[in-house]
Amino acid sequence: MDHDTDFRDLFDNAPCGYLVLNDKGRIVLVNETLRIWLDLVDDELLGKRLLDLLPVAGRVFYETHFAPLLRMQGFFHEVALDVVRRDGTRLPVLANATQRVDADGEVKETRIALFQATSRRKYERELFEANEAGDQARKEIETLNKALTETGRLRDEFIAILGHDLRNPVAAIGGGMRILSKEDLSSRGQQVVRLIDGSVARMGRLIDDVLDLTRGRMGGGLTISRKVEEDLSLHLKQVVAELSTGSGRRIDVEIDLPEPVLVDAGRIDQLVSNLLGNALSHGAEDKPVGLSARVAGHDLVISVSNGGDPIPPETIGRLFQPFFRGGDAAGRHEQGLGLGLHIASEIAKAHGGTLSVSSSAEKTTFEFRMPIGAEN
Amino acid sequence: MSVIRRNNVVVSGHGEKAIVFSHGFGCDQNMWRFVAPEFETRFQTVLFDHVGAGKSDLGAYDPEKYGDLHGYAEDLVEIGEALGLKQAVFVGHSVSAMIGALASLKAPDMFEALVMVGPSPRYIDDIGYKGGFSPADIEELLASLADNHMGWSIAMAPAIMGNSDRPELGQELADSFCRTDPAIAKAFARVTFTSDNRADLPRVTARTLILQCKDDIIASEAIGEYVRDHIPGSRLVVLDATGHCPNLSAPREVVAAIQDFV
Repeated sequence: MDHDTDFRDLFDNAPCGYLVLNDKGRIVLVNETLRIWLDLVDDELLGKRLLDLLPVAGRVFYETHFAPLLRMQGFFHEVALDVVRRDGTRLPVLANATQRVDADGEVKETRIALFQATSRRKYERELFEANEAGDQARKEIETLNKALTETGRLRDEFIAILGHDLRNPVAAIGGGMRILSKEDLSSRGQQVVRLIDGSVARMGRLIDDVLDLTRGRMGGGLTISRKVEEDLSLHLKQVVAELSTGSGRRIDVEIDLPEPVLVDAGRIDQLVSNLLGNALSHGAEDKPVGLSARVAGHDLVISVSNGGDPIPPETIGRLFQPFFRGGDAAGRHEQGLGLGLHIASEIAKAHGGTLSVSSSAEKTTFEFRMPIGAEN
Repeated sequence: MSVIRRNNVVVSGHGEKAIVFSHGFGCDQNMWRFVAPEFETRFQTVLFDHVGAGKSDLGAYDPEKYGDLHGYAEDLVEIGEALGLKQAVFVGHSVSAMIGALASLKAPDMFEALVMVGPSPRYIDDIGYKGGFSPADIEELLASLADNHMGWSIAMAPAIMGNSDRPELGQELADSFCRTDPAIAKAFARVTFTSDNRADLPRVTARTLILQCKDDIIASEAIGEYVRDHIPGSRLVVLDATGHCPNLSAPREVVAAIQDFV
């Protein structure tokens, strides 16, 4: 086989399509590979333009983008085109082109190699569609998020208004009970008044919690107003008395506060009341609930403990989240909203302190700790 | 944002009279790099990129304003005002030919002469009018731009990395040729290929030269004749050049024709 035949064969049966265009952009040479791909013969191809092999949209894109690029830089690589076969079907290809230019810069010849790119184009389109779908999904999520945020805001607003409106009737019931308790009542009557009184107090605490929560969420934050309390123990004992009476259970109290503290006493009452309420409903009924308040170093430390089953480790991390409700000692569902511990921890934070929990088989202890007298 | 920066306006050359070159869809002012320098000895040459193309300020793109060719024509008038252009020559390629015609109607003193290279007042066929494309062709073009953009972004990156054959073009050209925001390109394609400015042609009063290529699949010779027949006193010159971009494929012929006219 001589070299000419060799090169002709190399050209004709190359593993890529091959085209040569003259100075007018007309096809003067096509290899056998491309003829087979297109199912066209020389007579149908020679004298045509590259554009004649493209669908209309491809022609416009080629003329406005790739032709200028080819003319300006003398070549292009990896241009994605579709060429149209005899039967009208399209063959996706990648095209490389080079131009041969004479001394005056005039184009003499353009050589174009075409590589089949069916799988690659399919992959690219899938990738493109996946991108589009991803964008679409992201937009939908954004819309949903906006709606959710708005719903959440409206719910908080609603709860705040409801909580506020509930306060007055509850206060009225409390007042009525105080008047009734001064009347001559049968022992059964007195018992009912006491029970109602306890329930009214509990209802009041729930409403306070709800209002604190919504205020915190709606940007107002939980507000405290600190002043020097010469004897916080009076407050603490009052809270213990209320809860003890309401539940009919004993609370062991150990208070040693030799120095004044700078706190919002009402808020500390709320914190302690929430912790005690929590201990009474979750602790074992036959085990004592204890309250201790003391000074340790520069800290005021108030802890509330109860016996019974320990808190499962997997729920400990979520205890202080709003609306988290653990089961009670008997496995029943808690009656509250799941706000008590959340509000207590917010009160601790507002005092520049912390609320922590430790739980073992012996006992579960919540400990509030804050620096004495520090402004924050 | 000054108009000059918004449209990446580049002024060169010496001369009393100004000549403005305006690129078409798919390109930027680099389209004129074989043509514009030839006018620098006699004219002040003005090149610019339409908003969304080349090194224009993409942030200035407003889908509403650029929802038809008038938005682009307004930009052209603003450029002319910023440069104080009076009785200048406007040279517009492809869709820019119509943008220049619209600008000349908005600001009659700005351009005394229009050179339209491969103009088309309407690309889609109509009753008694052959634009060259069916509505389906144009829809396919618009739909396929997403595909082509993917082909473009993947295919063009390596091609424009190295200009080994013509290093004089340098990185500057490669950079700006990359800068086609796909969303804007698609919108510009829609505006271009669905435009219909046939009614504006008879109102053009500037001296007009139409440069028509042979074998232009985007604007055929019949369209060149249509434009000539509808712009009063206009002249049509059919170039030997083929294709849609004679400013690149046959710059000398284009330069000679324009020089002859101005």
